[in-house]
Amino acid sequence: MRYSGFTYGLFFLLCAEIVLIGCDGNTSEQKQSAAIQVTDFRGKKLALDKPAEKVVCLIESALSGIYMLGKQDKVIGIPGDVYRGETWQRYSELDVRIREKSLPTPGNWDFVSLEQVVSLEPDLVIIWSSQAQAIENIERFDIPVYAVMMHSLEDVFKEIEDLGKLLDAENRAGEILGFTKDQLKTIAHDQTAESFKTAYFMWAQGINETSGQNSTVQGLLRYAGVKNVCDLHDEHATINIEKLHDWDPDMIVMWYNEKLDPADVIENPLLQGLKAVREKQVYELPSAFDCDFWTLKFLYPVQLIHFWAYANQDTTAKPDPEKLLRVLYNQSQSDE
Amino acid sequence: MNRKFAIFMIYLLPIPVLLVSLLIGSSENIGISDIFYLFFEPRDSSELARSIIMDIRLPRILLVFITGGMLAVSGSVLQAIFRNPLVDPYVLGLSSGAAFGAALGIATVVIPVQLSAFVFGIVAVGLSWFMARKNKEVSIVSLILAGIITNGIFTSLLTIVQIMSDPFKLQGIVHWIMGNFHNASWDQFSLIIIPVVIGFVILYFFRWKLNVLALGDEEAASSGLNPTRMKIWILLAATLAGSAVVAVSGIIGLYGLIIPHIVRMIFGVDNRRTLVFNLLLGGSFLVIIDNFSRTMAGFEIPIGVFTMLIGAPFFIWLLKKSNIGWQQ
Repeated sequence: MRYSGFTYGLFFLLCAEIVLIGCDGNTSEQKQSAAIQVTDFRGKKLALDKPAEKVVCLIESALSGIYMLGKQDKVIGIPGDVYRGETWQRYSELDVRIREKSLPTPGNWDFVSLEQVVSLEPDLVIIWSSQAQAIENIERFDIPVYAVMMHSLEDVFKEIEDLGKLLDAENRAGEILGFTKDQLKTIAHDQTAESFKTAYFMWAQGINETSGQNSTVQGLLRYAGVKNVCDLHDEHATINIEKLHDWDPDMIVMWYNEKLDPADVIENPLLQGLKAVREKQVYELPSAFDCDFWTLKFLYPVQLIHFWAYANQDTTAKPDPEKLLRVLYNQSQSDE
Repeated sequence: MNRKFAIFMIYLLPIPVLLVSLLIGSSENIGISDIFYLFFEPRDSSELARSIIMDIRLPRILLVFITGGMLAVSGSVLQAIFRNPLVDPYVLGLSSGAAFGAALGIATVVIPVQLSAFVFGIVAVGLSWFMARKNKEVSIVSLILAGIITNGIFTSLLTIVQIMSDPFKLQGIVHWIMGNFHNASWDQFSLIIIPVVIGFVILYFFRWKLNVLALGDEEAASSGLNPTRMKIWILLAATLAGSAVVAVSGIIGLYGLIIPHIVRMIFGVDNRRTLVFNLLLGGSFLVIIDNFSRTMAGFEIPIGVFTMLIGAPFFIWLLKKSNIGWQQ
């Protein structure tokens, strides 16, 4: 067999690649001596010599986590969405810089201004792991990146734990994680004697939009002690009304919806065959901020859904969001 | 306007546009003095200023210039060979092919987005060509029809990828389609520069033949040219360069339609000259538009928004002012 120059070239490239991979390994070994080490949601190890002091956080839910950890002073950049609507109002109560809109907004979803991020000179950037190109560009400037992706409520726990390490707030992280897990255990204990009710989750896009078995919604409903009727595996699924009739849930839980109310769903002529509609078991989560599934605030919708499902059999009082948020955001009554 | 003055201006235009654009950015930490120090007293310039100007602004400005220029050049030559002023670089399915390729790259993660967009952009145009080919002949009407069909096929495939993608990836796909340069880097620049240069050199080499092709196939054949072969070369070059720039920019709608018309209104229809004018004006104008895109808000706004909001009124104003006679 004759080997062409191309084959030799390819072989050389492969060897070079192996050497480069080896070099990368050495770097990782060196970094293992760093004081703080976490593995982000890409599976990439992030090593810091000292806790981050200047953080650009481009994910609103992670920003909530930072405020829960009491490390808001370290935040120097936030996503643009924070300055809109209810989110802005709620953060205004937590941070005067957000009230005055003085914190820079170097990004919003995919639209990250690399120039703004670099010019802020952060020592940590928190961003969605799906933004691979933006991450690559930021890391090119030797700025550490903690990439986040939420597939389950357990991912929320991991994020808080990691942020606690990165921002020198491990004790506080342990405190709020402990509180959340204790609360969830209480709900789990309550539901042992009951037969599970079934629920259909409806996103704000309409009655056809739901989430399947591999989703944060699945975890939410499981913690609330109800069974997700959607047997598809997708994080986000569009189903037809006939399928919904096949599932015939005991209750419908609506994500916060500006255009539709439970009454609209109950009056929808296409849905009159559903048990949940006939029995008027249609509920709407009251606020996108208070019920954010990608933060520890998911505890509130869990409590609410559990309460809606088992109100008649349960002695638990209706969940109080203000009390819960006070604990999570570490606010005393006098702070308000 | 004096035509000589206009020609002088168009050659000069990129210099101030590119230089001024280097001064414009969302960072409040970089001023004129930083740029002065960087170029004239590099020892005194800060590392931050160097990074922002040399590694963020400069590659982006150059990438935008090349993209704008090549979209205009591709649009111009396709209008000439199709003898149709309504044609743009996307008419043969390049945009939908590239969008499908990019979506596949975003959804599957393992395929590089730009490479996938580039390859599928070319595949789409190739598919249009082969669908239109009959008895070794390709008529203009059947080629445009095949382009419409190809657009439909790849749009359907794109929809399938979108349906199967999770919300994060879906958002990424939608944002890619909007067209943007916020991930511009030297890597992207080096990725496209070779196909762009090859494409442009071929088109430049054939520029005078475009005038003959614009007269029609029979006239071209009677001048001793092989119109079919010539069209293949020109299409290949325009597609190569067009796919390369679309792969990094996403879809910037109607830009390849508007700029060639503006150039034609100002400088006439001689393709020997308008090819370079399209490159210079198309590049400069897109750089100006991108300056809005990257500085209007703290975060990035898709450039496709501004190409229409700024480009369309300017185009209409020129249309009303010029005597090119589309109304007839």
